[in-house]
Amino acid sequence: AAGSVGSVVRRFLAEYGSGTSSRLKVLDAYLLYVMLTGALQFGYCLGVGTFPFNSFLSGFISAVGSFILGVCLRIQINPQNKGEFQGISPERAFADFLFANTILHL
Amino acid sequence: MMLLLLPAITMDCNQECICLLSLTPGRRLCLVAALLLLLVGAQALAPSHHLTARDLARLRAALERPFTDLQAAYYSIVGLHSLGLRVADEKAACNFVKSHVDSSSVDSLFYAAQSIRVLSGCEVTISNETRELLLAAVSEDSSITQIFHAVGALSSFGLPLASQEALSALTARLSKEENVLATIQALETASYLSQQADLSGIVEEIEDLVARLDDLGGVYLQFEEGIETTALFAAAAYKLSDHVGTEPAMKEEQIIQLMNAIFSKKNFETLSEAFSVACAAGSLSHNRYHLPVVIVPDGPAAVSHHQPVLRLQVTNVMSKPLTQASVKLDYAKSASTKATVLQQTAFTLSGEVFELNFMNVKPASGYYDFSISVDGDNRFIANRVELKVKVSTEVGITNVDLSTVDKDQSIAPKTTRVAYPAKAKGSFTADSHQNFALSFQLIDVNSGADLIPHQTFVRLHNQKTGQEVVFVAEPDSKNVYKFELDTSERKTEFDSASGTYTLYLIIGDATLENPILWNVADVVIKFPEEDVPSTVQSKNLFVPKPEIKHLFREPEKRPPTVVSNTFTALILSPLLLLLILWIKIGANISNFSFAPSTIVFHMGHAAMLGLMYVYWTQLNMFQTLKYLAILGGVTFLAGNRMLAQKAVKRTH
Repeated sequence: AAGSVGSVVRRFLAEYGSGTSSRLKVLDAYLLYVMLTGALQFGYCLGVGTFPFNSFLSGFISAVGSFILGVCLRIQINPQNKGEFQGISPERAFADFLFANTILHL
Repeated sequence: MMLLLLPAITMDCNQECICLLSLTPGRRLCLVAALLLLLVGAQALAPSHHLTARDLARLRAALERPFTDLQAAYYSIVGLHSLGLRVADEKAACNFVKSHVDSSSVDSLFYAAQSIRVLSGCEVTISNETRELLLAAVSEDSSITQIFHAVGALSSFGLPLASQEALSALTARLSKEENVLATIQALETASYLSQQADLSGIVEEIEDLVARLDDLGGVYLQFEEGIETTALFAAAAYKLSDHVGTEPAMKEEQIIQLMNAIFSKKNFETLSEAFSVACAAGSLSHNRYHLPVVIVPDGPAAVSHHQPVLRLQVTNVMSKPLTQASVKLDYAKSASTKATVLQQTAFTLSGEVFELNFMNVKPASGYYDFSISVDGDNRFIANRVELKVKVSTEVGITNVDLSTVDKDQSIAPKTTRVAYPAKAKGSFTADSHQNFALSFQLIDVNSGADLIPHQTFVRLHNQKTGQEVVFVAEPDSKNVYKFELDTSERKTEFDSASGTYTLYLIIGDATLENPILWNVADVVIKFPEEDVPSTVQSKNLFVPKPEIKHLFREPEKRPPTVVSNTFTALILSPLLLLLILWIKIGANISNFSFAPSTIVFHMGHAAMLGLMYVYWTQLNMFQTLKYLAILGGVTFLAGNRMLAQKAVKRTH
């Protein structure tokens, strides 16, 4: 069983490395970064308590929000999904991403 | 007041008259009579204000100021005349009026005319132009004030006046000017017109004006325009009624309420106010229909053996004694027992005061309700009053016995008799096996009857600690006062402080002329030893209390700085990871075209991020939104352009 999990993971990584365009990989790296930041914040809060609560909330929600917007952008940019996003060009998706991020961080 | 009258009725009927359950025809009639008289009694409002001698002096001083102009002269001269007084120097007043009159002004002529009429030995001749001017003013085109002044001037100068014409002008004007002051002036004007003219229309205005008065708490009746207008109304209404010969349409209660309102003002701000009150006072003291009577006791309404005579001042509103009246006591009832002690007795006139020797009937001490009526002139109103009279007496203490009573009742009680105001010799002891007892009787020195005063206190004062404890002595069925001190029962009041206490007896009541504070004896009180308190602390309430220190809100627990700093560094590590990954993937900016829109876009975007930082440190939401709108707009346009170009490039 451990072996099959390991082989599945290895297979996935190989396919991912070859199948996804570099643009998407860049985005994925960004998403990974955001997720790690959010997780670390949450872990810190669990560790040392919720003071100051405001700071924890703002940091965590910012991380989560950015992650979600990044995911949206990735979905919209992916050429394999072009059928579902007829009127939205990648440039438009990127512009939406920027705008939404601005509003989130306001 | 109504309750007082009800017993008066039941005096004639049987005592069971009030009971509604058994209503035989005779008793039903009683009840109806009682109800009727209740209604009558309900209207018996007593005057609360009138012009006392001091008020009169103040009013006179207000009116006797030196004349500043003709109108002031008019107010002073005619005002003083209404009060029955004369101006100090009539010749000077006359000269003043004659020198200040302005023959071209109707108002000026009116003031001059009224003043001259009142001053004796003052004559003036009127030229034809003046007469023409005055007659021309009496028309529909002039205001009511003009008509009033013109008619008044013509009448006072003794010039002929066309009453019918004046009346029609007045009536026509009244329908246009509806305010209260104009109507009052119309009433005054009508009082100068001949009685041949039909003045009933104007007389009806009195009733309308009465309806416009405001009732304040059932005690006062006045116009919302103020006391001055109310006083002028009273004067005008009576003047017109006397002139026409019909009684003014005002109920007795309303007249008393008017009186209360007008004479409630004791200080007069303006001369016209003083004048109006003077006119009202004059008209309420001399008119053909209603004379309010003021009945006040001379000094306090109290009688005693030293002062057995009840004195009453019976005057009109200007405090002038009505010596022609006959004053009668209808009944005098005890306030507590409701028994009539005296009825249908006349007061005797002594000088200017009416007197009655009430102590002749030897009343018991207490309060009595007197009902007094004043007759002699059927113009009198408010001539029935209820008065509360106090009868005082002196108290005497008799049969004072001090004794120590053994609790086991094995030894007979030792009794010592003390006479007031001596002090008992020797001291008495109260401890765990004997009580201290005190008994006495209170009698009315003059009549010998038993008295139950309000305050019968026994005060024990500790000489050393300054403590004092007060008890109430209660009378038993035979009106003998008893007080017993049981040390075991009364521990708490004394705080178990043993020692020598001085015993005082305090007797007091409103109807006693000699309240008593008597040091009767010394009592040594011994409390059981096991309850001796540490020290008797005098409960001083006025020392500073312990200071309360303010506890500031404790700051919340924070993790140590090391941990926080470590974590901050930790948080930045994913950023590092991101950069590494990006480089590894091969993200680059090789496609960066230096088109203006691109540059603008990137600058704008950077500016927006910068704005976020500034927002965090300095700005508030509104300012940020303002800047963001500008920057965002620019960035959006540039970005749009740039992305469009990118899209074009891509599709190619």
